[in-house]
Amino acid sequence: MPSVRLIGLRKTFGGIKAADGLDLEVRNGEYLCLLGPTGAGKTTALRMIAGLVSPDEGKVLFNGEDVTNTPVEERKAALLPQTYSLFPQLTVEENITFGLDIRGADERLKEQVLISMLDLVRLSGRSTAFPRELSGGMQQRTALARALASGADMLLLDEPLRALDARLRISLRTELRSLVKSLRMTTIHVTHDQDEALVMADRVAIIREGRIIQVGTPKEVWDRPATPFVANFLGQSNFFIGEVLQSSPCTLLRTPDGTVLKGRSSDLIPGTQAVMGVKIGSTELSKERPGYLQAKVERILFEGRNLHMDMMTGGGQRLSAKLPSWKKGRITVGDTVGIYWEEEKGTVFSMPANGLESELKVE
Amino acid sequence: MVAAISRKRFLTGWTAFIILFFLFFVILPTIYILSYAFTEWGSIEALLEDQGRMDLIWGAIGASFQIAGIVTVIDIVTGLPMAWMLVRKDFRGKNLLDTLIDMPLAVPTAALGFSSAMFFAITDESLQAPSFALGTIGSPYLLIILLHVVFSYPYMVRSLSAILVQIDQTYETAGRTLGASPLTAARTITLPLFRAGLVTGIILCFARSLSETGGTMIALATMANARGFATGPTLIGEWKDALDSQPDLAAPLAFVSILLILLSLALLVVIKLVVMRVHLPMGRIWPRPERLLSRGVFPKVKDGLAVLFLVVFVLVPSFFIFTYVGSVEPTAFDWAPFIRSLLYSFLIAGVVTGIDIALGVPLALYIAKNRSGRLAGALDVLVNVPLIVPTAALGYSLGVFWASQEIVPTHDVLLIVLAHVAFTYPLVVRNVAGAVEEVDPAYEETARTLGARPVQAFRRVLYPMVKSSILAGAIMAFTRSLGETGATQAVVANAQTAPVYIVDLINLETAAGYYSAGLACIMLIVISFLFMLALRYVTNRRAR
Repeated sequence: MPSVRLIGLRKTFGGIKAADGLDLEVRNGEYLCLLGPTGAGKTTALRMIAGLVSPDEGKVLFNGEDVTNTPVEERKAALLPQTYSLFPQLTVEENITFGLDIRGADERLKEQVLISMLDLVRLSGRSTAFPRELSGGMQQRTALARALASGADMLLLDEPLRALDARLRISLRTELRSLVKSLRMTTIHVTHDQDEALVMADRVAIIREGRIIQVGTPKEVWDRPATPFVANFLGQSNFFIGEVLQSSPCTLLRTPDGTVLKGRSSDLIPGTQAVMGVKIGSTELSKERPGYLQAKVERILFEGRNLHMDMMTGGGQRLSAKLPSWKKGRITVGDTVGIYWEEEKGTVFSMPANGLESELKVE
Repeated sequence: MVAAISRKRFLTGWTAFIILFFLFFVILPTIYILSYAFTEWGSIEALLEDQGRMDLIWGAIGASFQIAGIVTVIDIVTGLPMAWMLVRKDFRGKNLLDTLIDMPLAVPTAALGFSSAMFFAITDESLQAPSFALGTIGSPYLLIILLHVVFSYPYMVRSLSAILVQIDQTYETAGRTLGASPLTAARTITLPLFRAGLVTGIILCFARSLSETGGTMIALATMANARGFATGPTLIGEWKDALDSQPDLAAPLAFVSILLILLSLALLVVIKLVVMRVHLPMGRIWPRPERLLSRGVFPKVKDGLAVLFLVVFVLVPSFFIFTYVGSVEPTAFDWAPFIRSLLYSFLIAGVVTGIDIALGVPLALYIAKNRSGRLAGALDVLVNVPLIVPTAALGYSLGVFWASQEIVPTHDVLLIVLAHVAFTYPLVVRNVAGAVEEVDPAYEETARTLGARPVQAFRRVLYPMVKSSILAGAIMAFTRSLGETGATQAVVANAQTAPVYIVDLINLETAAGYYSAGLACIMLIVISFLFMLALRYVTNRRAR
């Protein structure tokens, strides 16, 4: 199974930069999720790996070998599009053996592969059905079997769970991952759904405006976001702007109104402007403790498992927090609460060049 | 690596070849005659001095455009209620009505012209005719209008209903729940959404009427008093016929062709601009009268009139020929020349369709897949040109073009084939390009990532999906070629295709000639009808 390296890929579509110096390394047999908001260039990156789009600049390497100009069909990287693109005029069986037919594989081999694939994706009973007669989940499994049977050693999944309904989508996450991992395929999975990426990936690569901003294990990107954008895109954060007082053993940040906030250690120079981000799930509230700062509860949304709280500080900043539902009733609208967090949960970033607001914009 | 590069080169070369074919074998010959205005300006200047000829030309061109305009208006007025009925209402016999509307499309215009003229204009003095023929139309101008309505009406109804089906009826329902009467809702909400369909319908009807030659010539010939009256295309046919004996007709022929080409192209632009831009005062509402008109007998009278119009002015004239052949004394019919002409027509239509598919499908693929590109966009517009230009002018232009060069031999059959390719090629391209655009490109891309080469991806994935559209385009091209008179005559004056043979029979002006022509028409109708059935079968299967 190959490793993939993308070096400085650039691609412009009529003035829009879909890839703007994109570098990424995917390890041999790894399940990598490429996560980013709509329009970040996820699909373009995937299509450049597949060979369907050729980059204006930069290189694509498979196992260290330059494949930038290799035709699509010779890359052995099978694409699974959002809508699966099962060939409607072919049965499940014919769809699965498509790749083998193309290469003129002999009947015995085809038979063998077909049986093992049908078995693998649990479709043995439906081999003569046409795609339109299958449920969404079955279609997805057929498409997967077709990709696996083609002899490809790399899987490119473009939002593979998007077309399924919510429950099925969640149950298929683990199924899809374990199936692919058992075959040790190098897999690149494009998604805009952070939960999906965190649950499924060995490593997550966060892409924005055609560039990779952070690559790491799900835990790394969640706990140690590289930029305010990542902190907010994964799990939403509260942000505070201020001046760095010290950066070790913990970072101290003084906001304009004089409040001093604590966060994890950093390498920021004291005296510079910085931003502290705290996940709303790590933001804690208390009516008794004064906390770092005080805010008035304006709205409480019941989300089933969680309560979503919206608050306003005396200085007019909006903050949010997520509490477990069993705390319902302890805090009500109109209460003034103290806000605090564990030192480790506060991440301090240097001030973004274009300001915090534009850094956090998703579009 | 080497293989990949050479394959890429081959593909580029092939694409270039297809585009060049289209430009040099279809577009350039179609409008080549325009260059005559530059190279032979002297002879055109002399022609402008020739008052007699100029009167003839302006008379014919004027008649052509007036007739096309009037015909289009009649088609809109009578076609709209019919389209409305077919799409929005449910009644017994709806399917039958739906089939009946397409029937005239199955009849070659040559046969249609004979049949209609027989119904509308034949009097006892000129020909032994069934006593129930209308036989009251004395004006050739009026006769041609009626004839053109017969064959353009189905196009209008089809274009309008195609759009009407796509318009969401909930707008109208919403309007009515807000208190609008059915007529008000339809007029103020649905009709304004209709423009695209109206543009297509108007252009189709206008172009068909402007272009029609065979039927018009036959109708004029059948109506024995018609000498002197001509439309643009019939004038071209007449003069081309006489060109060998009167070489000085070259300049007037070129001039008429240039006028027809330029005016029809200009008209295309004007129609698009006018219909899409002009805002009719649709917003005004007259609640009382509109409510009154929406109720009681009025809708029924409107629908009844729509059906009556269809029967009296479209269906009966189309098939009147059967009653004529059935009711007159049979005379001896010489089968041999007719069969020969029929085979000749079939041979040409077959070859033409083959060329259309072989070279039209690749162009369609190119246009559909590079739609955003500038070249593909330009080609997409150019493809319409041969559909708009009257075929007689196209034919004459093409004949002059091929005669002016010495690379390709100017054999009669070859010229006719090239002419027919020019105006049928767009039919295949438009059909196939439309179908390919509807197929998600992800299918082919996925096939490629599964290891299929581009050719394999086309053959195994895309082709099965657009097969029926290719076939539909091919059948259209075949029937259009089979029924064409104008272009054939304009390239080769004495070509013996079936429609031209029928024109010649009628020009004999004998009872035997008419009878033979009638019989030949019926055979042509039967054959075309079989093709029409095949087309319906194919397209219905696609819709399923």
